[in-house]
Amino acid sequence: MRNFTLRQIIAGFAIVLLLIAFPLVVRQSFHIHVMILVFMFGMLGVAWNIMGGYAGMFSFGQAAFFGIGAYTSSYLSIAHGVNPWIGLVMGGCTAALVASAIGYPCSNLRGHYFAIASIAFAEIVRIVFNNWKMVGAAEGLSLSIQHESFVNFLFNSSKLPYYYIMLAFLLVSLVVSYFVATSKMGYYFRAIKESHKIAESLGVDVVLYRLMAIMISAFLSAMAGTFYAQYILYIDPGSVMLLATSIQIVLIAMLGGAGSIMGPVIGAAILIPASEYTRVALGYKGTGMDMLIYGLLITLISMYYPEGVWKLFAKIGRKLK
Amino acid sequence: MPDQLLQQIADGLLIGLMYSLVAIGLTLIWGVMNIVNFAHGDFLMLGMFTSFWLFTLYGIDPIFSIPIGFVCMFVMGTLIYRFIVSKVMKGPILAQLVVTFGVSIFISNLAVYFWTPDFRLLPATIIHGTWQIGGIELSVPKVAASIGSVIASVCMIFFLKRTKTGKAILATEMDREAALLMGINTERINSLSFGIGTALVGVAGAFLSTYYYIYPQVGGLFGTIAFCVVALGGFGSIEGAFIAGILVGLAQTLGGFFFDPSYKYAIVYMIYLITIWIRPQGLMGW
Amino acid sequence: MKSKNWIRVVSVALSLLLVLVFFVSAHSQQNVIKIGAVYPLTGNIASTGLDCKRGVDLAVDIINGKYDLDLPLARSEGLPNLGGAKIEIVYADTKGDPKNGMSEAERLITSEKVVAMIGAYQSAVTKTASQMTERLGIPYVCSDSSSPTLTERDFKYFFRVSPHDDIFARDQFQFLKDLEKKTGQTVHNIAVLYENTEFGSNAGKAYKKYAAEFGYKVVADISYTANATDVTSEVGKLIVSKPDVLMHASYITDAILFTKTFKEMGFQPKGIMTMAGYIEPGYLPSVKADGNYIIVRSTFALDLAKNKPLVAKVNDLFRKKYGIDMSENAARSFMAPFVLAEAINRAKSTAPEAIVKALHETDIPGNQTIYPWKGIKFDPQTNQNIYARGTLVQILNQEYVTIWPFDSASKPVVWPFPAWKDR
Repeated sequence: MRNFTLRQIIAGFAIVLLLIAFPLVVRQSFHIHVMILVFMFGMLGVAWNIMGGYAGMFSFGQAAFFGIGAYTSSYLSIAHGVNPWIGLVMGGCTAALVASAIGYPCSNLRGHYFAIASIAFAEIVRIVFNNWKMVGAAEGLSLSIQHESFVNFLFNSSKLPYYYIMLAFLLVSLVVSYFVATSKMGYYFRAIKESHKIAESLGVDVVLYRLMAIMISAFLSAMAGTFYAQYILYIDPGSVMLLATSIQIVLIAMLGGAGSIMGPVIGAAILIPASEYTRVALGYKGTGMDMLIYGLLITLISMYYPEGVWKLFAKIGRKLK
Repeated sequence: MPDQLLQQIADGLLIGLMYSLVAIGLTLIWGVMNIVNFAHGDFLMLGMFTSFWLFTLYGIDPIFSIPIGFVCMFVMGTLIYRFIVSKVMKGPILAQLVVTFGVSIFISNLAVYFWTPDFRLLPATIIHGTWQIGGIELSVPKVAASIGSVIASVCMIFFLKRTKTGKAILATEMDREAALLMGINTERINSLSFGIGTALVGVAGAFLSTYYYIYPQVGGLFGTIAFCVVALGGFGSIEGAFIAGILVGLAQTLGGFFFDPSYKYAIVYMIYLITIWIRPQGLMGW
Repeated sequence: MKSKNWIRVVSVALSLLLVLVFFVSAHSQQNVIKIGAVYPLTGNIASTGLDCKRGVDLAVDIINGKYDLDLPLARSEGLPNLGGAKIEIVYADTKGDPKNGMSEAERLITSEKVVAMIGAYQSAVTKTASQMTERLGIPYVCSDSSSPTLTERDFKYFFRVSPHDDIFARDQFQFLKDLEKKTGQTVHNIAVLYENTEFGSNAGKAYKKYAAEFGYKVVADISYTANATDVTSEVGKLIVSKPDVLMHASYITDAILFTKTFKEMGFQPKGIMTMAGYIEPGYLPSVKADGNYIIVRSTFALDLAKNKPLVAKVNDLFRKKYGIDMSENAARSFMAPFVLAEAINRAKSTAPEAIVKALHETDIPGNQTIYPWKGIKFDPQTNQNIYARGTLVQILNQEYVTIWPFDSASKPVVWPFPAWKDR
């Protein structure tokens, strides 16, 4: 268990306070929406990090778990009136189950092979959902606009509750990430990432720990999925299970700094506003300029900060000491 | 029904051979440098546009513009390697994955910027029409593409196994450190491989442009399938990519015909997953 | 873990945010009425989005300027009842993503202060965008999304001007019955083919429903992925099912691919009747003569000009501005600004409730539109234009020619579908 210095604790609180104050100061709902996306993708990045950054399983199929979470809670809510918070937990469990089912046969896949397998898996899930009548197939599911309340996980008049809930989710995922990283589990993950043989020689049950990493990652991603469904009130395979979303999650984790706890959050804080604001400022012309800038940004960051922008801030921090 | 079955098998072969052609460039890059080139589909798109513009502006038929396209794409690939990809070769794998992704977004949107998102189709070129053989219809452009695929694969295999440079590439693929020790300039090999890989997919694009619609985002689906083909065949193996491409084409067509066309890509991905579980290094990988 | 870095991170991020807040915030002008427009202006379907934009922009030109045309507010500059106020369209790019439809609609309303919304072409995006406008109480006039479900939601603020896919599907079957009556040519078997997202699957449902109602047998029911590398399996299945007529709901990419594959594999039904993709402006330039004899549902065709000179005049303006003929998409999107401007003008106010009330009283006569409709009047329950209907056009000599209803046809329909070999 690592100890924090007093400075770090104060700094952490300060940032959380700033974030809590943000939507009360900046009233325009679009900016609050962007921050909500930052938190959501930050959480997805943190979830990815647990299996990718820590355990070395580069998954390009996280959207599948995100989507399973969204679909599970939404379907249960629409068809059986199950409360979304319960649906949240069930979504997480479903995703974790599916994750273990796919993770097990893939236990000895590494690196690129695992990556491509994750793409294949996620696409299969998307295609299945796109044709599955029970969950609306291509038309997706629309959640009805009910009475707004915390219990119903639905708010109509203001975005603020969504903002704070997502922030809370993000903090929860960071805590989980921290505990995983600093525990024996994290140590085993890192050994597995290094090499299966080395891990085995240390007595680590590689298959078991890989599954654990995938399941934790899936559960957290599914939580974010349920949030999304309750926020947007409409989901379809084309919006929650896209390969592009999975890739975006990897980008965020990687550009922020895979393997570090805060890395994915920083990545989200940079990439999400970058893509949202360039689209608003430039997208409407239809020239593709906004995506050009985005692509350039990604290329440059991965060339000059291949370990993630995390390192950049670490450097700045050191210089300013 | 037997007529249609033959037709589906024939078409499966034809589309499969196109997949092979798209994949051999990718497998070369992947095998030599261990890089997943996410921009591969976009290079395919550039190959298609090169062929399109050469035809539309200068009247050069795609069949004849292939050498021009080959050279252009080779140069482009080499430049991209020299100035962008080589910088991340020493870094973490993830950075390498991501940089090609950034290049992919950049290239496809550059195409949008210059050429608009509109769809274009080449009119009937020298190679056009359908042949009727034994009750089945064969699209001539697709047959030409298949022949091109076979020729390209054979040439590549010959190049890799029989020429000095080719053998150096193979050596680098198999064991980078050993190759270095043997005095092979691996940096040059990297650059060459990236250039050749890009040039090959440019050729695929030229063939594809004779029968498929051309637009900036066209690389997406072909690219994703190419990844499966390469991984199925085994990274670095040209023979593997060739065979895997055919298998994927057949699986897609027959799967779609006998089951449900909406699931046809799911079938492809499923076959990929099952093969990988049984034989993780792909059909012919090492 | 360096705490100072976190502070740096957050402060940099926040300051970036504030800079962008300035960048993005609205600037208001005098006497301008802002209407928001959400369309896919980049991404896979950008060419369609930009096409819709052309229609909208021309409409705004006409409203804001003085034109001798029989369109609402054309002869005055701007809205006369509001002191000549001009319409300004504020565009937002959805990239075809329903999540962006929602957030852009919200941003346009709360930041840009638009008083009404139009768009979004893709029904899935219109769904979320209109959910937002319904939540915020802002009127939404849609003239380019065709999913029937959009007007089945009991929304108060959402109005649709154009026909929906249920109407279009029924039209196609009505045509078959009319054809039988007129020429004695009978049809028994129908093959239904549709792309598998919201638009296609709803159209597929409608096709199957009306096939049963009109007494036809569905011999093939095939859904497929629009973005496919190859469609030989699908066409193979169609061939073995031996249908008399194929009904196809597609986007443009699959329309192109299927047309080529139909020709390649010699698919020879008596008729091919289609929706959407085949009437996109990019379709005919791509497939050229191979598109001939295919029938498409439409709300607009250039040959309407024969009975409606207004169509020719509008197309002339379109040509002058863009160098190409008006397409069906552009024509559909063209009408929404007029409907809104006319309502706002009558209401003499931009307050949402006033606009909605005025929309309920909208009664634009058919000769003030460029469509073959009796007019524009919204059903008090569903807010769907009760006079919206489609026509059927057939591609003849690489042009879209109205062939149904028979009394408004410019040319007789060519039926059955001539053999590929004989062309």
